[in-house]
Amino acid sequence: MRRLLFLSVLVYVLLILGLATANGVIIAFSIPLVIHLAAALFFAPQNPQLQVIRTLNADRVSQGVPVTISVSITNHGPHLEEVMLEDVVPDGLEVMEGISHVRCEMSSGQSILLEYSVRGIRGRYLFHDIRVSASDRLGLFHRQVVLHAPAHLTILPHVSWLRRVSIRPLQTHGYAGPVPARIGGSGVDFFGVRAYQAGDPMRWINWRLSARHPHAFFTNEFEQERIADVGLILDARLRSEVRVNGQSLFEHAVHATASLANVFLNDGNRVGLLVYGGYLDWIFPGYGKLQRERILQALARAEPGESMIFDKLEYIPTRFFPARSQIVLISPLWVEDLPILIRLRARGYQLLVISQDPVSFEAQGLGSDPKASLAMRIARLERTLLLRKAHQIGIQIVNWQVDQSFDHAVHSALGRIPLWFRAVGLGLRG
Amino acid sequence: MIRKLWYISLGCVTFALVIGYAIGGLWIWTLPIIGLAVLWLAGQRRGLKWVASVDFTLFVGFAVIGIWQELSFALMLLGMIAALAAWDMDYFQQRLEDMERVSQREVLERKYLQRLLIIEVSGAVLTFTAVSLTVTFSFGSALLLGLLAVIGLSRTIRFLRHESD
Repeated sequence: MRRLLFLSVLVYVLLILGLATANGVIIAFSIPLVIHLAAALFFAPQNPQLQVIRTLNADRVSQGVPVTISVSITNHGPHLEEVMLEDVVPDGLEVMEGISHVRCEMSSGQSILLEYSVRGIRGRYLFHDIRVSASDRLGLFHRQVVLHAPAHLTILPHVSWLRRVSIRPLQTHGYAGPVPARIGGSGVDFFGVRAYQAGDPMRWINWRLSARHPHAFFTNEFEQERIADVGLILDARLRSEVRVNGQSLFEHAVHATASLANVFLNDGNRVGLLVYGGYLDWIFPGYGKLQRERILQALARAEPGESMIFDKLEYIPTRFFPARSQIVLISPLWVEDLPILIRLRARGYQLLVISQDPVSFEAQGLGSDPKASLAMRIARLERTLLLRKAHQIGIQIVNWQVDQSFDHAVHSALGRIPLWFRAVGLGLRG
Repeated sequence: MIRKLWYISLGCVTFALVIGYAIGGLWIWTLPIIGLAVLWLAGQRRGLKWVASVDFTLFVGFAVIGIWQELSFALMLLGMIAALAAWDMDYFQQRLEDMERVSQREVLERKYLQRLLIIEVSGAVLTFTAVSLTVTFSFGSALLLGLLAVIGLSRTIRFLRHESD
């Protein structure tokens, strides 16, 4: 367009100069330029009539897995002398192989195939527009259209392998599972002793106790193990997002949530998810692989956001989680959150907080400035105090330094310390 | 291919204008012409897109000044036509280089060059014809024709701008 204008201005200047100096040769010098313009007009492209078909070899993949995108563009209109086709790749996706744009000539009925593979970070991506710019051969006259061929691609968060996470909610379901139910019956761990009832297996009889009571028999009881309701709450408030050297603390939280959902569902528990941030996004509690997929899809679209209402955790919809169930909050945790956690505890929820440490994470990006070091020390002290208070009100805390593996962090915080280890005074957690 | 022809075109402009000015005895003017050619070369190497338009305008300016100074018409016209071709090829080359993938590049280049050749040759022939023809006009008729040309051209350009995105 600029070239068209530039050439036109030049023609005007030559004409005016020729007229002003009454020199016909100067006017005649504008003829080649006018012919250039006339050729552009004569061969100007008409509105492109193109049909687009987009196909993806997968519409949901795990992070890091490449996806091949094919865009077939067919010209149903007149011949296009020169056309530029560009498939707009959504931000966050990286083209690994192939090219998403081409410049070519398209005769009527001809098809062009754009094929390329992309890889990206967790998220939900919408492929939508294909930019088309048709021009004459000299590139003076352009026609631009945007074609639509929508397709969704979901890149699921990375799920890492995790050993079983021990939880002890106050209420469990009737089905057998891995969660100790605080009810006597058949199980593995000793629970108590009761009077013998007809039908009790002989090997359950507590012979020592029965020997002290000649007219009665007593039977051992074991703690039943059942499945439980687990509610995962992902803190997606903007304040919980810290970015250092292109790394995001929130991404670690998403990864932790996905791994926890996976391990709880594999154990047969009923798991729900609430993403608490700029808005509420929830998945009702459910079982199995389908639920896993629903949760991963929700985590794929989770973004840190800001909201006046959900700036504090006090609007967590507790009715969403069954009473006396296990709640797992994945959050860096702030001082203002503590009263809400106390309230949740008071309502009978068993709370586990996975707290990715923002102080250590941010410290990576700071230099050796003494002022910054002092500030870090103060921030660390504040955080230690906060976590200790939370621990005192009966909340299980996993203080996760994100540079260590999540599995290691969880099991060093929640795993059972062997008796012999405790006996010698080692393995106490601070 | 295009690059080679671009070098040839730039050589032609420089040669035609330098020779034209040298024949006319205006030696001092040859230096800025050579300077412009060097600038265009350097601009292209460094990827400065604006250099092409600036150089083209200045080359046209030198050709017009040459006509005004009554230097060789043929050399000035050759200079201008070659400058126009170089300017257009420069842009075409940029368009192709901006794209990682160009389907049937050779075909595109060949057809582009054919079109450019036809346009440049017809431009040169028509200009020669226009200059060779002698038609006597009164000042009023010349002014009227000039005005008509300006108005007609304005309308055409407005139409082109409206139609083009």
